[in-house]
Amino acid sequence: MPSTTAQPILQAHALRKTYRMGRVDVPVLKGASIDVHEGEWVAVLGASGSGKSTLLHLMGDLDQPDTPGGGFVRFERHMLAEMHRRDRNVYRNRTIGFVFQFYHLLPELNVLENTILPGLVGMSRLRYWRERGPLRARATELLDSFGLGHRLKHRPRELSGGERQRVAIARALLNKPRILLADEPTGNLDEDTGRDILDLIASQHREGLTIVMVTHDRSIAERANRIVELHGGQVVEQP
Amino acid sequence: MYQALLTNRYLTTRVIPLIAVAAVALCVALVIIVVSVMTGFLNMVKSSGRVLMGDVVIQYPVQGIPHFELVIEELERLPEVAAATPVVDSWGLLKMPYPEGPNKDTRYVQIWGIEPESFARVTGYADTLYWRPLKENQRASEHDLRRLMTDQLVEDAMSLRDHRTGRPAIVMGMHVSEGNQRQRDGSYHPLGDGYWWMPQYEVTLTTLPVDTGGDLGLQPESFIFPIVNEFVSGVFVIDNTRVMIPFNVAQRMFHLDEAERVDEQLNPVGVFPGRATIILVRAADGVTPDRLRDMVATAYNDLVVRSRSGDPAFHVPLQREGFGLSIRTWEQQQAQFIGPVEKERELMRVLFSIIYLVCAGLVLTIFWAIVHEKTRDIGILRSVGASRFGIAAIFLRYGAVIGAIGAVFGLGLAWLVVNNINAIHDAVGEDAPRWTWIAAFILAGGALMMAVFEMMRDRMLRLVLWALGTIVLALLGIGLYFHRGTLLWDPSVYYFSKIPNVIDFNTAITTMIGAVIFSVIGAFVPAAKAADTDPVNALRYE
Repeated sequence: MPSTTAQPILQAHALRKTYRMGRVDVPVLKGASIDVHEGEWVAVLGASGSGKSTLLHLMGDLDQPDTPGGGFVRFERHMLAEMHRRDRNVYRNRTIGFVFQFYHLLPELNVLENTILPGLVGMSRLRYWRERGPLRARATELLDSFGLGHRLKHRPRELSGGERQRVAIARALLNKPRILLADEPTGNLDEDTGRDILDLIASQHREGLTIVMVTHDRSIAERANRIVELHGGQVVEQP
Repeated sequence: MYQALLTNRYLTTRVIPLIAVAAVALCVALVIIVVSVMTGFLNMVKSSGRVLMGDVVIQYPVQGIPHFELVIEELERLPEVAAATPVVDSWGLLKMPYPEGPNKDTRYVQIWGIEPESFARVTGYADTLYWRPLKENQRASEHDLRRLMTDQLVEDAMSLRDHRTGRPAIVMGMHVSEGNQRQRDGSYHPLGDGYWWMPQYEVTLTTLPVDTGGDLGLQPESFIFPIVNEFVSGVFVIDNTRVMIPFNVAQRMFHLDEAERVDEQLNPVGVFPGRATIILVRAADGVTPDRLRDMVATAYNDLVVRSRSGDPAFHVPLQREGFGLSIRTWEQQQAQFIGPVEKERELMRVLFSIIYLVCAGLVLTIFWAIVHEKTRDIGILRSVGASRFGIAAIFLRYGAVIGAIGAVFGLGLAWLVVNNINAIHDAVGEDAPRWTWIAAFILAGGALMMAVFEMMRDRMLRLVLWALGTIVLALLGIGLYFHRGTLLWDPSVYYFSKIPNVIDFNTAITTMIGAVIFSVIGAFVPAAKAADTDPVNALRYE
């Protein structure tokens, strides 16, 4: 169990996020704060529309909090808002791994290509030619360990939902990220397949990966070390 | 690196980019075809000028240049001059051997009196002679009369003398006789399956000489010439009007030969020297026409000065540009044709540059649709660390690749069309073969059956596509059925008997580069839109 007194690896502080729907401002997050420590598996529980995904997007630098006074996200000692744009790209590429409810695989690429995509994004052509062997080996190893070794050349449309989500997790893990951000990773799967996916995430957690997972399902949230609930746009710690 | 992978996959797995490639290819092909034909036309005007008149032309119409032999001798001493030849140039009436019966056709012709040997050294005369034995590797139909020819026809044409009788002979432009029919392969076949082959007939040439004062006070001259050959210069106006006769005969017919000079009491006081109305000069290797013109002008003016300081009877006319004797390069001589064609070509180039904007507009529209379709992919790529510039680069690269592939296909298409433009023209000029419209109707029937089949299966898109196919094929069949030969390139209007069919590679390269640049420009706006796409909204995009 990680220590809660140590410096958090990822900290969201007093986050505010407002969406504009036509002429109406709709506040989603109203000062949400959460500290995530290294090696933790935190489940963010909340009803649909409570702002779970928004919180995850802000923590993963896919979105920015309101300005001014919208709070901040800090990775170790680095404030995301103050990081150079290039460093933030590197943050999304190497530090964070995203897993989405709807898998979000590129339909034109096969399983192997989808998996090595984060590796390609972070590489120049020259570096790719130099490191393509280890890169492909890493992707193949991940897919093998997820039971997809025979599906490398298949397109996403040829896979089941569970297989697609395993490819998405393999893609998220390719660059050995410090933190996995999972947005309802089982939300689109049947119960058995969802359990398999959670087992897979749990195995990664056992290997030391920090995980933040949002879900609306308490039974799924209970697989995590710690559960926080988003309520009224704020994070409420659960006992 | 991911841009290359995605560009490759977006290109090879979707139909929309193929439409963009086709659009660019058509734009590129259109520009290359139009400008190549215009450039070829211009080059033909230019090269034909050189083939027909050498590099520099000294001209003094009607009255002629006296002592032309001396002028030629002086010129041929210059190292810049390869050869020079005199020509008598005027007009006359030619009575043709056809039709059968006493009333023959008579037509107006340009008469060139030439010394064949020196004329051939200055111009491409020898190569323009048409009736000659086929070369070993020359392809020709089995009905081609040239299979029966001997070298004697060329020898007679090169001496302008009928070897059987020793009489002065005439060589006519191929289109002077209406009996010569141009075949699809570019060869000629006389009407009546060879019956009206001219070199077995005689023609009567009538001229109206002008006296030294420029007046028509002299009797018309008529002369019967056996025809010994016909020439094809490729310039319709020349082939349709010009005939060649021996220089000395032409001098006599136009009263430009040496004549006794008498005083008022008709006592001989000297001679009028023989005259030529044109002297054609060919440059030595490596000498430009402009330089040659300057050298010829200097030599000619020296001769004028020398002649005037000596024998008062020895008189050659002064050079005065635009009036009297002129010395011009072949380009200046052809300026009346070259100038307008050059301007027309530039006009075409500018007008067809609008095609680039069409190209950019098409790419913009198609890419806008692609970016719209790929919104979610953009969100995914941003989530795995792709930068905004990296996203934009995908679409810019995509635009460049589509532009480059389209440009290459466009060049290929243009090459196919331009290379076969005369065959296409000839095919359009004839009735459509029966099999073409039958095939179109059969295909239309097949498409109709497929449309009915898809209607029964309740598939709207396929039904519409097959129905459209049926309509297009049926219209094509109807069009072919009713198609009657249409003459698009009338040689009497367009100056040449053949459409230029060589790709202008300078234009091709600039057009291809332009297509790539404008495709990238067209991709800029969609690329910027892609870069600006909010990843969160993109991931939520359905």
